[in-house]
Amino acid sequence: MVKAGNYDVPEGLYYGREHEWVKLEGKLARVGVTDYAQSKLGDVVYVELPEVGKQVKQATAPKTKEMELGAVESIKAVSAVYSPLSGAVKETNAALQERPELINTSPYNEGWICVLEPGALEAELKNLMDAKAYVEFLKKLE
Amino acid sequence: MKQLHLAQVHRSLGAEFVPFAGWEMPIKYTSVAEEHLAVRNAVGVFDVSHMGEFRVTGEGATAFLQHVTSNDVFKLKIGGAHYSTILNERGGTKDDGLVYHLGEQEFMMVCNAINVEKIGTWLTRHAGEKVEVKDITMSTILLALQGPRAQEVLQQLTGFELPQLKRFKAAPMEAAGIQVLVSRSGYTGEDGFELFITDEPASNPARGEKLYNALLQAGERLGIKPCGLGARDTTRLEAGLCLYDHELTEQITPLEARIDFVVKFEKGEFIGRERLLEQKKAGLKRARTGLRMLEAGVPRQGYKLFKDGREVGFVSSGTFSPLLKVGIAMGYAAPELKLGEKISVEIRGKPRSAEVVGWPFYDPERYGHSRR
Repeated sequence: MVKAGNYDVPEGLYYGREHEWVKLEGKLARVGVTDYAQSKLGDVVYVELPEVGKQVKQATAPKTKEMELGAVESIKAVSAVYSPLSGAVKETNAALQERPELINTSPYNEGWICVLEPGALEAELKNLMDAKAYVEFLKKLE
Repeated sequence: MKQLHLAQVHRSLGAEFVPFAGWEMPIKYTSVAEEHLAVRNAVGVFDVSHMGEFRVTGEGATAFLQHVTSNDVFKLKIGGAHYSTILNERGGTKDDGLVYHLGEQEFMMVCNAINVEKIGTWLTRHAGEKVEVKDITMSTILLALQGPRAQEVLQQLTGFELPQLKRFKAAPMEAAGIQVLVSRSGYTGEDGFELFITDEPASNPARGEKLYNALLQAGERLGIKPCGLGARDTTRLEAGLCLYDHELTEQITPLEARIDFVVKFEKGEFIGRERLLEQKKAGLKRARTGLRMLEAGVPRQGYKLFKDGREVGFVSSGTFSPLLKVGIAMGYAAPELKLGEKISVEIRGKPRSAEVVGWPFYDPERYGHSRR
């Protein structure tokens, strides 16, 4: 585990600039939000999950609806979850409906948001950061 | 960016800061929900020194305040405070806050941080020769001790018999060895105190620091928590209290905000009176409305309200209620909407069902200052 200040940044994951993580599992990619993201959001109270089957695009600027994997509502604010990869939503984390706080308590494990079937994995991975690069990215934000 | 006198103390307690109204303010220390529930169930302490304070003194002070505020200052006894509004000529709200009657010819007005400069200019413009208006914001530390255990905490630090200090009364006293003006009031819906330490130079916040730490220490076994702006917003919203720039603006009158109790037509002339009388006669076109979600989702400022497919209003403030565990909001809508009526809030493009409710949003027999 790498640390950036108070935030956990596990090695072996890929990271997007919108503070989402990607864990490769064979041909699939599990996606969630990072410890930094959950900390900035504060108490998560609802998670709007994407629909299974939804086609999403890898997030770039400017943001569009096609890049959204639902939204996370905290007491303070609502934030869209932007997809770190293009592809189709295969599965979503139903546990978040009953226990949205899993995003706060376990952002990299129980708080995962969905599993994607990537459409252009190799080409898109180079747009993501590894743990070391994400730590540097966070340092610039603080 | 203005810094709180006690900024370092908050930092050492783990505060996360955000810019608000030109100040760098603690938004939370641990979690908004935790801090919120500490205030509802035990006690919390907020540093709200960003709030503006004006000292209004002189022979003409009472008449002046009668003219620039909507409540009846003649009825305010020395040692008393009341909620009031400052209105523009159109009856819209320039600011809202408490007016304290501190001495024979001495008053203090507490105003919103975002309005300090505007109100300073407005008051100076309307003050006659026999009135002196002084902005004492930067030399005042204001701490708010709020919650059902607030009295128990403060009583450990003062010889003053706090049960003698009723709601909306203020008295100077010594607490933790420091001279402080204590007001039984607050912005959370709970019983509690607002503690003013004035003439504290920014370079020497020692007295404020001493009192703040003494409060935390005295409240430790009661579960006291330092609370940030996040919990300040959620507690005031649950209590149904207006926040400037949300429920009150230069375009919204106190009648529309349903705070008629601060408008005393019978006292005679005051700025905005004519337009408010006209509005009262003509009837309101919109009024502050409470909402409670019947579905998942959190209503937020600016979201639209619909009834049978027709747009009927907008959300002025919304949050997830940490106490009720549901989305709640205040907004402006057609005044004919009845309590219990179902309407919908458009949340990210989708209509979500909500019910029109009154405030406070919690059961006042179980929570808030009138709890049993």
